Amino acid sequence: MLLELKDINKTYFGAQPLHVLKGINLSIDRGEFVSIMGASGSGKSTLLNILGILDNYDTGEYWLDGRLIKDLSEKQAADYRNRMIGFIFQSYNLIGFKTAVENVELPLFYQGIGRRKRRQMAMEYLDRMGLTQWATHFPNEMSGGQKQRVAIARALVTHPDIILADEPTGALDSKTSVEIMGLLSRLNREDKMTIIVVTHESGVANAADKIIHISDGVIGSIEQNRDHSAARFGSGDLIK
Amino acid sequence: MRSFFDIDRFKEIMDTLSRNRSRTILTGFGIFWGVFMLLALSGGAQGLKDLLLRNFKGFATNSGFLIPNATTRPYKGFQRGRSWKLDFGDIEAVKAQVDGVEKVAPVGTRWGETAVFGDRTYNGSFKGITFDYYSIETPKIKFGRPLNRMDMEDERKVCILGKRPWEELFPGGEDPCGQMVRIGGVYYQVIGVDVSESNISIGAPSEWTITAPLKVFNKLYGKGDEVEFLGFTARDGWRVKTLFKDISAILSRRHYFDPDDDQALFSVNSESIFTMMDNLMKGVDIMILLIGLGTLLAGAIGVSNIMMVTVKERTSEIGIRRAIGATPRMILGQIIKESIVLTMTAGALGIMFTVLILSGAELAATKDGVLTAHFQIGFWTAIGAVAVLTVLGVLAGLAPAMRAMSIKPVDAMRDE
Repeated sequence: MLLELKDINKTYFGAQPLHVLKGINLSIDRGEFVSIMGASGSGKSTLLNILGILDNYDTGEYWLDGRLIKDLSEKQAADYRNRMIGFIFQSYNLIGFKTAVENVELPLFYQGIGRRKRRQMAMEYLDRMGLTQWATHFPNEMSGGQKQRVAIARALVTHPDIILADEPTGALDSKTSVEIMGLLSRLNREDKMTIIVVTHESGVANAADKIIHISDGVIGSIEQNRDHSAARFGSGDLIK
Repeated sequence: MRSFFDIDRFKEIMDTLSRNRSRTILTGFGIFWGVFMLLALSGGAQGLKDLLLRNFKGFATNSGFLIPNATTRPYKGFQRGRSWKLDFGDIEAVKAQVDGVEKVAPVGTRWGETAVFGDRTYNGSFKGITFDYYSIETPKIKFGRPLNRMDMEDERKVCILGKRPWEELFPGGEDPCGQMVRIGGVYYQVIGVDVSESNISIGAPSEWTITAPLKVFNKLYGKGDEVEFLGFTARDGWRVKTLFKDISAILSRRHYFDPDDDQALFSVNSESIFTMMDNLMKGVDIMILLIGLGTLLAGAIGVSNIMMVTVKERTSEIGIRRAIGATPRMILGQIIKESIVLTMTAGALGIMFTVLILSGAELAATKDGVLTAHFQIGFWTAIGAVAVLTVLGVLAGLAPAMRAMSIKPVDAMRDE
């Protein structure tokens, strides 16, 4: 197993303590394409944050590639995030004053890779995303789909073990959404990339091979989804 | 962690600073202004001090002058209102009897005397001195030499021209030594030019004065051994004020005036004037230091404040950096280094601007190719300012950097 969660519990202690994750057990193998579905407040974002080592959990165990991810120092967490996980966010989270290629380079900068090597690797991934001509453009000069493809290039450039996507199509129109999901599917098929997508849209979840339904902090059901053409919302190629 | 001068890290900092131009300029301006104010103030104060001290240049700071005046009290059968004069006997008596006196210089002066050379005339002050007078006021000789003891003893008809009479009588600015100048019907040979510009003067400013040996001067006006006033310098460890008392006691005995008659002997004390000036200067220095440091501190706090807002504005950027692998220390390092680079650049610009402005001030203060006052800040002052700036830069960056460090990568996503 690439990734294993054992009885994960997480409570937010605010004015009213909020038990968000109530004993999550989950294992995901290398090369899987999984989507986590749930309504807002179901705990899916918290789960993604824990998977991405962006947040801590209270009890249980999280194993990633044979390593127990628990009580890590900030430095270690940063290092694991950098080397093992690629993030794709709903709002792209590109740095506005950096060009596309500089954004893609940034994770490599924090790995301490030299400038020339960095530029070469970043260009390679931008090329795979079909964005070679856009390399020196700033994010505000690009469309949503292009920005998300830059973000995907940035997620891939460090050769991570998993890609974590948080509502990757949330800010995109339906046509672009199909493109982006197609891109993720292809990455999974051709490069055997492990991908976890968190969404509340069933059409997006449908692109994955395995759909994990989460509600009220527990996993409801795990659905094998081999026939991607079935159970679609909308018609034709439109997801929404 | 790699070193500060890692070219890659440096480029990252420069990129961040240069691509957020207006933010950088606004922040830098605070520091720029602080440095400019501090240095320009200290340079200006120094120049002002120079200008003021120029008035005292060449003047002994431990000297006193005594000028006889009409008595205001009856004494030993004499009525009040009696005029009296100093004479050479008084000088010798003071020299012999007062311990704390180092040099005693009798002086004779005449206002409104006319000097003639060829067809040019000069109307100003004429002064007779003895050699000891040079201990009180040092001449600044441009041509020739000052008066010496031989001139005094042989009663040579020689004179020293002040700056004005030299300019008036010799408008070509040539060396007048050896020329004969007529003063009050008698010809004097010019032996030197004194360009001293000291504005402290008893009688008339030396700039306007023609000086001759006292005995020659007295002969011209038939004054015998009369002396207009008496100047003296105090030995180390003696106060001019106490010497006044000793001297006035001797003079009152010799000239029969009431020792308690303050009006009968008018006194000028350069020591007290200098002490006052000195204290004034110290006060100005302290004030300027306080204002300057205050401005600089305000600048640093301003920078810290702007950086604070900046960090808040950059929450998402920092969150992204953290999410893709930056450690808190890297973020801390980046924010502090940004702030150091910013303060040092802005500070250097401030120093350059100050140097430029002060050069202009010096240019304006230059008269006849001679610099009258030094406004320019010293090299080490500038270096010191840079050092202070660097420290302030680190301090200014610290608080915002601490806040930046506490930003969790999750915040980046929540922020949008």
